[in-house]
Amino acid sequence: MDDAVIAVALVLVAACATVAVATRDPARQALVLSVLGVVLAVLFTVLQAPDVGLSQLAVGSALTPLLLLLTVRKVRRRGQREESGR
Amino acid sequence: MSPRTRLWLVAVGGAGVAALLVAACLGLPAFGGDHHPYGDRAVEASLAHRTANTIASVNFDQRAFDTLGELTILFAAVLGCVALLRQTRDEHRARPEPAEVAPPVRRYALLVLPVALLTGLYVIAHGQLSPGGGFQGGVAAATALHLLYLGADYRALERVRPVGLYEVGDGVAVCAYLVTGIAALLGGAAFLANTLLPHGTFNTLSSGGTVPLLNAAVGMEVACAVVVLLARFLDQAVEIEEESGT
Amino acid sequence: MNGWILAATLTLAAGLTASLWGVATGPLRRRVVAQNLATAVACPGLLLLAQGYDRPSYVDLALVLALLGPVGTLVFARLLAGELAEDPPRARGVTWAAAGLGAVVVLALCAVTGPGRATAKLLVTGALLIGGNLVASRALTGGAGGTGRA
Repeated sequence: MDDAVIAVALVLVAACATVAVATRDPARQALVLSVLGVVLAVLFTVLQAPDVGLSQLAVGSALTPLLLLLTVRKVRRRGQREESGR
Repeated sequence: MSPRTRLWLVAVGGAGVAALLVAACLGLPAFGGDHHPYGDRAVEASLAHRTANTIASVNFDQRAFDTLGELTILFAAVLGCVALLRQTRDEHRARPEPAEVAPPVRRYALLVLPVALLTGLYVIAHGQLSPGGGFQGGVAAATALHLLYLGADYRALERVRPVGLYEVGDGVAVCAYLVTGIAALLGGAAFLANTLLPHGTFNTLSSGGTVPLLNAAVGMEVACAVVVLLARFLDQAVEIEEESGT
Repeated sequence: MNGWILAATLTLAAGLTASLWGVATGPLRRRVVAQNLATAVACPGLLLLAQGYDRPSYVDLALVLALLGPVGTLVFARLLAGELAEDPPRARGVTWAAAGLGAVVVLALCAVTGPGRATAKLLVTGALLIGGNLVASRALTGGAGGTGRA
């Protein structure tokens, strides 16, 4: 039973990470990365590493999406500015 | 370099890395098992210093010097970000427009902000007892502060967040870690050795000698670093505009 | 081997597969809802795992997730507001199903824990989880006053 939950978590991490690589648009990628963070935290928990899982949750659930989306917003705004300036 | 050559280069490099990883995996001990020489020694050493959470003992006692390295990496990374994302001469600050936030979101943010701050402090304070510690709690507390941006707007966050103070706090926390290490040195032991304070009673908040002190220093450093980092990112995304376009 | 871990495995497998599928495909409005669902499912899953492994300190993970997960969704709701306003998500069914799952799990765990500090912590986690997800879902769908004035 313990192995079954580890297997489920491993498959989910592999699938989620593949999707994160295959997604092109950064905003959608941030959404996938946020789910990947949760799935990784579950994997760390079932491997009995709650300290690492807690780090992953703390960083992955809100901080990473915020940094990514702020960067996307800045880059897009610059793009719009250059287009309108021409 | 043509795309075809590049593809070949990636293929060859990827195959090499894959081969090395597979070879390394074959040499690993089997998954699970009950023979853990390092784990047994780490638990023994952590119990000797009355630290309930062995991970905290490894991080802040047995390998406290490694943690100093990680602390320095974070400090340097944030310093680099601050230098790169500063306001340059051809940029100016625009007042961000106040955002409209739905009332339930605003109430939620104001209600959860103190709870999340308290949880962050709880995770830092119980680092030597239960999963968690300075890093995790520091990030949670710093993220909590930004509920003000989500629940109100950027100006509300700026009013309660003097970035300068957080920059000072970041430096002070790193110094506190170093001073604790040097104090052990002055006491006649090795740098960062856990000999300064009594080890206390097992499984209480004050147990573990210098572990809670170093833990608190890391918590303060991480919280301040995340706040400063997000402040620079928010400045760039919300306030700073280039003048060349206008 | 015990029933709690079995329940956690089923919850996590079904819920996280669904949210992974939702976040990987379809329009943006579906993806943000799926991201919110991931938090709402993983948090009860972590609580069940803590009970299954008989390690009360693992509840801290669920507590942090219940606090920061909805904050993450609010980040998306705030910074993707422009795109979401053109095509607002609808998530009533999913949100209430996830809230119901959270409530059932928390109440079941409270029943076996018995009165005490651990139960209070479970109840706080459950309240934060359910409240957070309802608010986050409301923020995504535009809420009552959000879309009209923005």
